[in-house]
Amino acid sequence: MPPEARRVDGWIGFGVLLVAGVSVPLLTRDSYHLDVATVILRNLLLTMSLRYVMSTGQLNMAHVSFMGIAAYASALLVTRAGWSFWAALAVAPLLAALAAVPMGRVALRVSGPYYFLISFAFLEVLRLVFNNFFVDYLGGPSGLVEIPPPHPLLLTGGAVTFIGKLAQYWLMLVLFLASAAVLIRLECSRFGLVNGAIRQSELLAETLGVNVPRYKLGAFVLGAFFAGVAGVFFAHSQRVLHSSDFGLEPMVLLVVFTVIGGAGSVWGPVVGTLVLAVASELLRELHHYELLVYGLVLMVVMLCFPDGLVALPGRVARRFGWGRAKDGASTLGAGVAP
Amino acid sequence: MLLELREVGKRFGGLQAVAAFSMTVRAGTIHGLIGPNGAGKSTVFNLITGVLPVTSGEIHFKGERISGLRPSEICRRGIARTFQATTFFREFTVLDNVMAASHLAVERSFVKTLLATAGYRAREAAALARAQDLLDSVRLQDVAGRRAGTLPHRDQKALSLALVLATGAGLVILDEPLAGLTTQEGEDAMRTLQALRADGKTILLVEHDMRAVMGLCDVITVLDHGVRIAEGVPRDIQANPTVIEAYLGAEDTLA
Repeated sequence: MPPEARRVDGWIGFGVLLVAGVSVPLLTRDSYHLDVATVILRNLLLTMSLRYVMSTGQLNMAHVSFMGIAAYASALLVTRAGWSFWAALAVAPLLAALAAVPMGRVALRVSGPYYFLISFAFLEVLRLVFNNFFVDYLGGPSGLVEIPPPHPLLLTGGAVTFIGKLAQYWLMLVLFLASAAVLIRLECSRFGLVNGAIRQSELLAETLGVNVPRYKLGAFVLGAFFAGVAGVFFAHSQRVLHSSDFGLEPMVLLVVFTVIGGAGSVWGPVVGTLVLAVASELLRELHHYELLVYGLVLMVVMLCFPDGLVALPGRVARRFGWGRAKDGASTLGAGVAP
Repeated sequence: MLLELREVGKRFGGLQAVAAFSMTVRAGTIHGLIGPNGAGKSTVFNLITGVLPVTSGEIHFKGERISGLRPSEICRRGIARTFQATTFFREFTVLDNVMAASHLAVERSFVKTLLATAGYRAREAAALARAQDLLDSVRLQDVAGRRAGTLPHRDQKALSLALVLATGAGLVILDEPLAGLTTQEGEDAMRTLQALRADGKTILLVEHDMRAVMGLCDVITVLDHGVRIAEGVPRDIQANPTVIEAYLGAEDTLA
């Protein structure tokens, strides 16, 4: 697809997210619904940023740890150092990105299953640090409590407060849309193309002029930054942090959301997160058996639709021969090779 | 001298794959690198392009030392190559392959990309026009929207050449550009390579089709067991007794 068309597609998709996001508070003021919608937006931010890292071929199991680093950093900056929430929001994601630089450098020395294991080790080590170290600061096993909600924002027309569910939804929506705009823009630009090239063949990309480790580290750090944005919001909306919020289970859920939707497209995590959010509401009765269902769904998707749900319409179209003109055009007599 | 290998050696554990190998490639020529299977031809390509580090010796390109640089750095200095196997991005369309290759070597500002400044968009449009010209020149324009992995063999060969050309490299290194092509396709491919030479490109190639090598190359270097055993114009190489012996007296293949 020519870059101009790609960019137009990107903005159309962004427009759909924008309209959908803005219409939620118009459709419901129920605080439970708003709560669910806010969690969905936070998860979308996490899965879209995780996919950006995955688009370079890195299954980063420590993604949620960067959310944790920023969450704890922001909580401490506000409660201990007396910072405003807004200053912490600006700085804590940068701290997460900063922490990602040495970790990414270490993890990128290996690839494939070893990369998975190293990033998984980071996840566990950081969870244990949150749980067992600096207990006076991080709260230890009983958690870091009494984190204030976002401070009122003083504007010329008066102060905007962020206490209720509705206000928090708007805040999360703004954070999400700003982050999504950057991630979609990157995906539809040369960076998306280069990342995809790296995922398909690092050797070929490198010999065609890409400094592969630099791009992979860049994606890793950028992913950490956006996970950090989600972390700051998490800290000040939950107002309590536990180490288990940044452990294996939430991480696995992010991967499941992303992979079921389709890690090959920027829209995959959007589809996966939304579909599973709806499923989770329907499966609420099952309590912790819910994860069992996720596991089954993941297996079915991996076996039947390895490109995820987002690729399903294209597969169906090809099955019935609708997409032939684009993808299966005959090249017989279409010019002779070099 | 465009490319100069000085006493280059490569050792894999106890195996000396390439030993004190020297070769010079002049600008604007088609230079063939031949030798029996396992002679070390692909290793030499890997050493030149930085895919493997040299164990000893030096490689110079345009008077600058390139041995020890990353493959991406070497590409940016003007050397691009094809591989025998994976040599394009299977999941991309043909056009995206060429767009990717033309982007890869160019570092663009993260912020300018994000904001899609006017200058950035103008360069994008220019890159698209160049990619389409390039597809025309290798006669792939009609399959531009097709996924590369679904192309027939000759189109895959054409695409791998297009990727290398898209980098803008002056020295093009081709690993068996004619392998698997029919006689007719092979002749077309040879004409394309001659046209590239006429455009000022320098080509270094490994190829097993001896008739093609003899007809195409200006200079031929013969490698056997990691050692250079001959270098010269095709006629001299064909008459060289050492070369004939290396190919186990298979005179027919050299005739």
